[in-house]
Amino acid sequence: MTKQAYASPRDTVLTHTQATKPTATRHRRRLKAPTIALYGSLTILALIILIPLVWIFLTSFKSDFDAINSSANPIPNPFTLDAYKTLTSGEYPVFTWFLNSLLAATMQTILILVTASAGAYALARLEFRGKKFIFGLIIATLLVPGVVFLIPNYLIVDSFNWIDTIWAVTVPGAAGVFGIFFLRQFFIGLPIDFEEAARIDGAGDFRIFFQIVLPLAKPALATLAVLSFLGNWNDFIWPVYVLLSPEHLTLQPGLSQLQGAFTTHYGVIMAGAVVAAVPVLVIFTLAQRHIVESVASSGVKG
Amino acid sequence: MMQQHGPTKFSSRTRANTVASPVATNVRTDLNKQAVIRKPITRRRTGIAYLFLTPFLVLFGIFIVAPALYGIWVSLHTWNPLLPNKPFVGLDNYTQLFTPGSLTFEPFWNSMGVTGLFTLLSVPLLLVIPLFVAILLNQKIKGGTVFRAVFFAPYVLGVAVVGVIWGYLLDPQLGVVNSILRLVGIEADIPWTVNEPWVWVSLVGVTIWWTMGFNTVILLAGLKGISAELYEAAALDGAGWWKQFLNVTIPGLRPVMMFVSTVTILASANMFGQSYLLTRGGPGTSTKSAIMYIADQGLSQNQMGAASAMSYVLFAFLAVISVINFRIQRDKAS
Amino acid sequence: MRKRHLSRGLAILLGLSLAVTLSACGSSSTNDSSNGPTGDYTGPDVTVTFWNGWTGGAAPKIVPQLVEKFNSEHKNITVKNVPMEWGDISAKMPLAVKGGKGPDVAVAHGDDIATYAAQGLIQPTDDIISSLGYSETDFPDGVFAAGNYTGNQYGIPWSVTPLGLYINNDVLKAAGIDPSVVPSDKESYLSALETLKTAGTQGEWVDGYVFTGVFQFKSLLWQFGGEVYNKDVSKSTFNSDAGVEALTHMTDLIAKGYSPADVAPDGNINALVAGKTAYNWNGVWQTTNEALQKTDWSAAPVPQIGTEKAVWSSSTHWIFLNNKNQDKNKTDAAAVFVKWMNDNSEGWAETGELPANNTLRNSPDLLEKYPNLKPFIDELPYARYETSAPGITNAEAELATAVNEAILGKKSPEQALDDAAARADKILEQNKSQYGG
Repeated sequence: MTKQAYASPRDTVLTHTQATKPTATRHRRRLKAPTIALYGSLTILALIILIPLVWIFLTSFKSDFDAINSSANPIPNPFTLDAYKTLTSGEYPVFTWFLNSLLAATMQTILILVTASAGAYALARLEFRGKKFIFGLIIATLLVPGVVFLIPNYLIVDSFNWIDTIWAVTVPGAAGVFGIFFLRQFFIGLPIDFEEAARIDGAGDFRIFFQIVLPLAKPALATLAVLSFLGNWNDFIWPVYVLLSPEHLTLQPGLSQLQGAFTTHYGVIMAGAVVAAVPVLVIFTLAQRHIVESVASSGVKG
Repeated sequence: MMQQHGPTKFSSRTRANTVASPVATNVRTDLNKQAVIRKPITRRRTGIAYLFLTPFLVLFGIFIVAPALYGIWVSLHTWNPLLPNKPFVGLDNYTQLFTPGSLTFEPFWNSMGVTGLFTLLSVPLLLVIPLFVAILLNQKIKGGTVFRAVFFAPYVLGVAVVGVIWGYLLDPQLGVVNSILRLVGIEADIPWTVNEPWVWVSLVGVTIWWTMGFNTVILLAGLKGISAELYEAAALDGAGWWKQFLNVTIPGLRPVMMFVSTVTILASANMFGQSYLLTRGGPGTSTKSAIMYIADQGLSQNQMGAASAMSYVLFAFLAVISVINFRIQRDKAS
Repeated sequence: MRKRHLSRGLAILLGLSLAVTLSACGSSSTNDSSNGPTGDYTGPDVTVTFWNGWTGGAAPKIVPQLVEKFNSEHKNITVKNVPMEWGDISAKMPLAVKGGKGPDVAVAHGDDIATYAAQGLIQPTDDIISSLGYSETDFPDGVFAAGNYTGNQYGIPWSVTPLGLYINNDVLKAAGIDPSVVPSDKESYLSALETLKTAGTQGEWVDGYVFTGVFQFKSLLWQFGGEVYNKDVSKSTFNSDAGVEALTHMTDLIAKGYSPADVAPDGNINALVAGKTAYNWNGVWQTTNEALQKTDWSAAPVPQIGTEKAVWSSSTHWIFLNNKNQDKNKTDAAAVFVKWMNDNSEGWAETGELPANNTLRNSPDLLEKYPNLKPFIDELPYARYETSAPGITNAEAELATAVNEAILGKKSPEQALDDAAARADKILEQNKSQYGG
């Protein structure tokens, strides 16, 4: 199978270039087996990716007893909404957690877009004293394991009186260096001609930044927005430390409460995972082409 | 933040970008020098630059630089954040790490070994499998973007969700995977999350499931960047698919591959969530990764001084690996 | 992992105010915010924040009801109920208290109290206890002492959660064993396991995790006459002959085929629910396991495998936190709340915990309503509780590693325990140097 798969690039190239020639039929016939193998392997892989997600989704409609006793059968028997009822019974303010997550992730994303785009412009387009130093610092901090920041950051956030407020899960996380790197990379790749023309016309850096660079960087900004949103949405260690009141929790630490300490409520746990996963999967599905392509291009440019 | 394979990967990715960037910057500067009269771009505009940088630098300074420096300070103390007395101990926390028989020596290096082994096991697979998938996706097929999206999808999930999903599926007794194996006639109750060597299969397998889409899309973009003419020329020279793969695909992918491998190595070296959630570090401490041990020391046991020292030792390792990577990349480029 | 944190519960610091001290001494007239011996609070309106780890079973329904009832009966006190994972509490409470953002009152596990006390997170409760009229004899032996640190009492016992023997009666019947004959010693227990084995059932699944392998190991260690640590908790003694015997008993169950190898966390209770095994040593909290109710199950005291009767139990205690700038009115009001809870907790057994208070627990109503709790209550005279010493959970983690390594066949019981003891001793030494004592 491997051999056929590797063989096919050439075949497709040939088919493509010779499509109008009389020999095309011969090629088409020759392609058949590899094509089946190709689709076959891709489908198998796709199933390996998807089946776990579907299985968990189905399990969230099982009773605990069913989840323990017939895990081999993905079909719930009986089909029950108990897990979701528990989630929405009011004992746990799941909806509030959801809104908190949404708000925190959105605000952090905006903060990242603003600070990173401006900073990235300076790093990509301006010459200034200390540039190398700042750059070196950014690179170095990337290698420091995140765990070392946790306690110091807690103390800092506490000194701002931000513990148990949404600022604690919004602002510190916006300091990450990914955004500025990502955008700097993108800005460097932009053609400089427009900016130079504008400069000759007397435009200043602010005008160039707002009227030329930012509009050109829209795809990159959108990608950064989605990735930042996902990062904040999925974070769960930091919120556990800085959020205290039930009504201030975000979704991830909130859902960990649902995993009762003493029992094995698989239905509820799976339902929690579904609630946490579905929004990001929906966002991803809507924006997938965009995300995937800018992730790809940023990697290739690197 | 530290536990997530994904975000770590993103941040490390940007690191790799910088490897290439000095080159780009230099080239531009040279061009600018030649055109210095017409283009005012080389003029230093320190004031304006810092105006643009200030919002970022404020955040960066407060929440990254300050804690990092603070961490160094902490590492020089016996630092229990809950006790008023935090005695200065100099480099003790570091020397302990290099003194056999000390409290932290054996568990720390054991955890470093775990991280090293995980990196060795996972990185080759996280390069080869995505490369294979990318080659498949690079064929002229229908539904390519759908497949690509499906492969990438798990990457958007947080490690907590990934842990819940696979913890249930891989549970040795009630787990779905073993039940399915039983249906196809394999009667072994494989201890996926409990005992060796299966815990390694699980940790590496789940990591591949979770993150391979990321590497796949980057490698796919790399493949698309290789000119079709090169393949045609090779074909005219009589090269078969394997020769073409060796002589066209591999060299064409080299820069992308270097980037992907750097990113993947750093992400694997930061592995935490998978073993924390799936294997609980077990059996014994066989899968307790460096980050997991450091987090346990610093956050559960309140030994922040020792934990900070360990972080910086790990940091030194990562820095050395990154420098080596950078060297290799530079050598190959030249 | 999360569950491992059961043993690190909550630290709550309540500033035990001077007012309480004074009122306890009977001079309540000197201030207007005192809680008198009757537990009244007459100060200004306060909101008391109450953290607890009761997120599972019936507790998420019962606790809010109790809190609501209390709030309606006390016009000047509003209790704010904050349930969260035990593990999350141990993660966030210490730092929160240091920053003045912690709760006023909380429920903690016995093995955390000394640590919290040494860290200055909680207030001595001697005066509250005497004002509430409690003494050591109001609780099962050893529970009150678990809240003691350097001569002061830092907690008020609330509940105890011993291990017991869970039995799937259908599985026994299928193997031809009469479920009404419950094995109570090593011989009868092993012979039942042998009968089950002959019938093709692995009768007890042994796991190597804190829940519940470590609890089982400790029970056996005590049964064989061993101790986890020496008297002043400066050396670990779990690697004694008794310890090796205890752990060998567990690995033998696997070696003899009574238990499968490589049991996953919760694998044994799930196997009991699924009818794959007959016996499971598990905590009283499983009495509320919903999936278990679909089987024909019963519970019994754990069999006596060793030379004496003993069983592991955890305990929970009320603690009063010592937040930065702790408002003494809140502490006073919290004491009123604790007293009220202790007086109104008849329904507490619903949550799968035994009330620590002897009077409540021994009331005939309780067993009438929850007959399944009888074996657990019967065990209490010889139940043993977690060791109380600052930083002890750090050393406990090493013991858990040893049990895990032995059960999973990584090391022999002796080797695993010796290695763990060596590491634990270094941690105990570190604890002494950091916390003193």
